[in-house]
Amino acid sequence: MPERSESVAKHIEALHRGFDLWPTLPFHPPALGDARWTEELILSTWVQAQTGRPPASGLEYRVGRSRGGFDCLEFSFLPEDRWLAEEAPIDTSIPLNRRSDGPQPRIEIPVPWYGAGMSFGSISEQVMLARAKAAQRWRTFTCTGEGGYPESLLPYKEHVITQVATGMFGVREETILWAPIVEFKYAQGAKPGLGGHLLGDKVTAAVARMRESLPWVSLFSPFPFHSVYSVEDHKKHLDWIRAIHPQALLSVKVSTPNDVDMVAVGSYYAGAHILHLDGGYGGTGAAPEIAKKNIAMPIELAIPKVHRFLEHEGIRDELVLMASGGIRTAYDLAKAIALGADGVVLGTAELVALGCTRCGNCERGRGCPFGLTTTDPELSLLVDPEWGAERIGKLYASFEFELREILRRLGLSSVRALRGRTDLLRYRRAEGGPDGTA
Amino acid sequence: MLETRVPEEAPLGSERGYRRYHILTRPAPERFPIPPRFRVRVKKHRLVALVFKELLEYRGNLKVALSRPCVYGVFGGPLGGLTPREHLCVGCLRCCVQYPEVVQIQPNPLRKRLGDSYLRPEYVDTLLYEARTGRVPVRGAGWRGAFGGEGWDSMWTDMSEIVRPTRDGIHGREFISTQVDLGEKPGFLRFDARGEPTGPLPRVVSLPLPFLFDAPPPTAPPPLLEVLSEAARRLGTLAILPLPVCLEWGLQGSWVVPVVSEADWGEMERMRWRPQLVELEGWHPGRYAELRRRLEGSVVAVRVPMHADLSAMVQAGVRVFHLCADYHGTSGGRFAAGLLRETHARLVQAGLREEVSLLGSGGVVMAEHVPKAILCGLDAVALDTALWVALQARFEGECRSRREARVEFPSLEPSWGVQRLLNLANSWRDQLLEVLGAMGLREVRRLRGELGRAMFQEELEHEAFADIEGYAG
Repeated sequence: MPERSESVAKHIEALHRGFDLWPTLPFHPPALGDARWTEELILSTWVQAQTGRPPASGLEYRVGRSRGGFDCLEFSFLPEDRWLAEEAPIDTSIPLNRRSDGPQPRIEIPVPWYGAGMSFGSISEQVMLARAKAAQRWRTFTCTGEGGYPESLLPYKEHVITQVATGMFGVREETILWAPIVEFKYAQGAKPGLGGHLLGDKVTAAVARMRESLPWVSLFSPFPFHSVYSVEDHKKHLDWIRAIHPQALLSVKVSTPNDVDMVAVGSYYAGAHILHLDGGYGGTGAAPEIAKKNIAMPIELAIPKVHRFLEHEGIRDELVLMASGGIRTAYDLAKAIALGADGVVLGTAELVALGCTRCGNCERGRGCPFGLTTTDPELSLLVDPEWGAERIGKLYASFEFELREILRRLGLSSVRALRGRTDLLRYRRAEGGPDGTA
Repeated sequence: MLETRVPEEAPLGSERGYRRYHILTRPAPERFPIPPRFRVRVKKHRLVALVFKELLEYRGNLKVALSRPCVYGVFGGPLGGLTPREHLCVGCLRCCVQYPEVVQIQPNPLRKRLGDSYLRPEYVDTLLYEARTGRVPVRGAGWRGAFGGEGWDSMWTDMSEIVRPTRDGIHGREFISTQVDLGEKPGFLRFDARGEPTGPLPRVVSLPLPFLFDAPPPTAPPPLLEVLSEAARRLGTLAILPLPVCLEWGLQGSWVVPVVSEADWGEMERMRWRPQLVELEGWHPGRYAELRRRLEGSVVAVRVPMHADLSAMVQAGVRVFHLCADYHGTSGGRFAAGLLRETHARLVQAGLREEVSLLGSGGVVMAEHVPKAILCGLDAVALDTALWVALQARFEGECRSRREARVEFPSLEPSWGVQRLLNLANSWRDQLLEVLGAMGLREVRRLRGELGRAMFQEELEHEAFADIEGYAG
């Protein structure tokens, strides 16, 4: 990695000062935030990444202003006298292998989330390292995305999921053998049905080398797998990984079409341990705008559909359902579990913890000006992996704290008992203008 | 003179050979300034103090002290932050994260004046980009807006996950057709002993795109009419214009669709060209029959409000309808999506849907509205306000109805205007291909009324949340 210059050090210091200062300002920066990630959610995530606790200043840290989905759901907490005691043990762990067949290990993670796939190229190696370090500290996982497996991640390989996607970028036998979990990405929530897209500006020599392609040429992961026409073909894919690495858990990442429930059942019978549902409002380094809002359903609507269908088919307890695509807060993740997921996958929230302002310029020119979604050698120095791991770890700590509080107030001693408990939710219709403004 | 040729689709093996439909795009930058997205407010005395402070801190190292956070060049002018170049600001906010006491970025309030309450400022941004570049808008980060909403925002399109027949998109290898047919499509044909069809042949017009250009408001300047007509010709689609306007400005050609109203009937005598499609304003059985007789070979459509009951007209033999909503997509107080679904369903129930073509207009202002309108039952859409915005027209107040719309059209240079519309059409077609590719559909004709490929917020929410306390549907 290139050395930091004095200029870079100056900017890092100023940035870190700003991340601390902004949430304390008497006004909210007027150009920050949107309906989904409001300015308060962004600032409160920065506070959590700094302190490991939700903000005590009154900043909203639970919901946004999207006027639907998670933002219209709230928990029906018990009266205070029925809450669990503060010192009562609460289990936040979930298993990632519920299948009763197969030789794969019984992996558990102590918190019901892991990190989403973000490829080398879409984000910098420094950010990948920060995520991997945080995953190791929290004994959970992060995911390579589809861009190869930088060797700097090897010390953390017990906590790194390898992703195999349609472009097969950087997929080699050893990268599969390194991984305790291998994820097949069929689709991505932000661009369902469209495949992956890394714009040429971000395909530096290092990225091209890792992906075995040419520098400065846009890369497309086609959609879908050109070797899969059916669920039987899908099974063939999973069998291929099993043949190479029989101990690996298999995750199947899909988006949320009308028939997502059928896809889930097909994946189970193909041998998947984890079904990763990525809802239509998920994050991306670059996607056609038409895809983000219009194709496939939001995750809030897909989770109950899949959960119930798996129950109906009698296989719900054999398959782990992980949800992503708009999980911004600890409350979102708890609501996702109450709707029927086992756990969630975090992506954008981790980047916001590292300073993302959601400006949406990830794909432009040199990439993210905060050094997150960039491959620019100088910009990527703005994120020190150790600093980043600390920020993500603190966000995890805050989420864990909040999740325990939610469970305690619901009288539940395990997050596993929250799954599918829609009776603990209440729907509150949004008021105000189209973007949630009064 | 632009070099864009008239695109045509010729069948494989024909004399002209096979050519894939293609729209030639080229950059067509805005000719009139648009307000920058953000305002950059720098407290100049604080900036000067900051520079001095950093010069001291970094021992006079100018390179470090003058190194500024913006990677987009906002502070890259000769006087740096003292004269920020606002037009380059993308709103990343890095400058004000680092130096909140020196600089603040604010959304430019002038942007809120773009468009109106339906064609929102962010839509204007997108349309301008599409018309400028001809490309599909691509951005980082996920969806930033509301969960769902009203109108077209209350539905999502489907995609195919693992099992799918095609694997295209705009970068794919397999061809997805965007051709649509408008006209009479009888359930069967009769042939004589020699194998030749007997009786009058059905009148059909095939378009390479599922969108046409609808008539602009009466205040439209002549260059706009010329741009609409020429762009339609080059795209191989149709421009709908009132008959008197066609006659007054000499806009004639098979791609020009005259709208004939009862009041204009006398003008028919002056019509010297044979349009592929002609529209009769309102339902007048006698006039309809006469139009069909006069314009032999032309498809005759009846232009009626979107909420109109079509049954009498269908009974009378009308097979092409132009269903008009206002510019906000409503007709008879209801939004287009619901009206179209009902009309489509009624025709299906009557066993006539395959024989009837539905063209619709009003409220289709973004690329995604085209597939959504087709999913709800249209064969093709006629575009209106989006075209004018692409040409940098400005609305004065709400632009809702054709007669009352107050639209300020800029002075147009026709070749620039035509290129802007070609770019817009290419961008929208590519986005349509993305949506069709995601669904695994090989042709847009199969999208029509394919409600199984649509997901409606109300239905999905009911399915997901019905058992949750407080959900009232």
